[in-house]
Amino acid sequence: MSARRQYELVYIVSPEATDEQVSDLHAQIEALITRFDAELVKTENWGRRKLAYPIQRHKEGTYVLEVINGTGDLIKEIDRRLRVSEQVVRHLVVRVDQELKAAERARSRRKTPVGVARPAAVQAGAGEDEGVGEEVEG
Amino acid sequence: MRERSGGRGGRGGGGRRGDRDRDREGGQRRPMFRRRKVCKFCADKIDYIDYKDTRMISAFVPERAKILPRRISGVCATHQRKLQAAIKRARHLALVPFVVE
Repeated sequence: MSARRQYELVYIVSPEATDEQVSDLHAQIEALITRFDAELVKTENWGRRKLAYPIQRHKEGTYVLEVINGTGDLIKEIDRRLRVSEQVVRHLVVRVDQELKAAERARSRRKTPVGVARPAAVQAGAGEDEGVGEEVEG
Repeated sequence: MRERSGGRGGRGGGGRRGDRDRDREGGQRRPMFRRRKVCKFCADKIDYIDYKDTRMISAFVPERAKILPRRISGVCATHQRKLQAAIKRARHLALVPFVVE
């Protein structure tokens, strides 16, 4: 079936919601995750934070972050639920596996240069390229 | 047609910027001091710009909450692109404002 991917989900719960309602929402999402046979990597409650601008006339909200390993179908369902929910004023789902992998790759590349002769050649080439680019731009 | 107007706009923009620089330097009659700009993210070896890291992101959205252009911040193209995405995500979550009146 569809591939497992890592997603980050952040949702903002209305400040009028009680702590119970917030944990209830979390429980709902957790239930969905187990139903779709996915994995909850991390969950973080940032608590009440002031919003940078009002959303639905609210000036603050409770932020919750969930990191999920799961399929797109699961995320689709969670997204739909959050959209319908009246307590959630805003939510964002971001797929992070690719970006994290790219970051990891960049880190390992820096630690272990590919060859001894090549980096110097690459650097010299890059320097030249930059010079040309600047000329064209100016 | 579209390509041509775009090209003209680009050139016009470049010219304007150049003029402004020249005016400033000419008016003050002394060479502008310019620090050599190095991409902050390359220097600090930050590979992933996290939209949740408000402190880092807000350094690139000055008072009016506009995204700081890289001609000023000196951020490299790769990181500016990632930063831009991060700022937009942070804005959606009201971690960073869209506008400040």
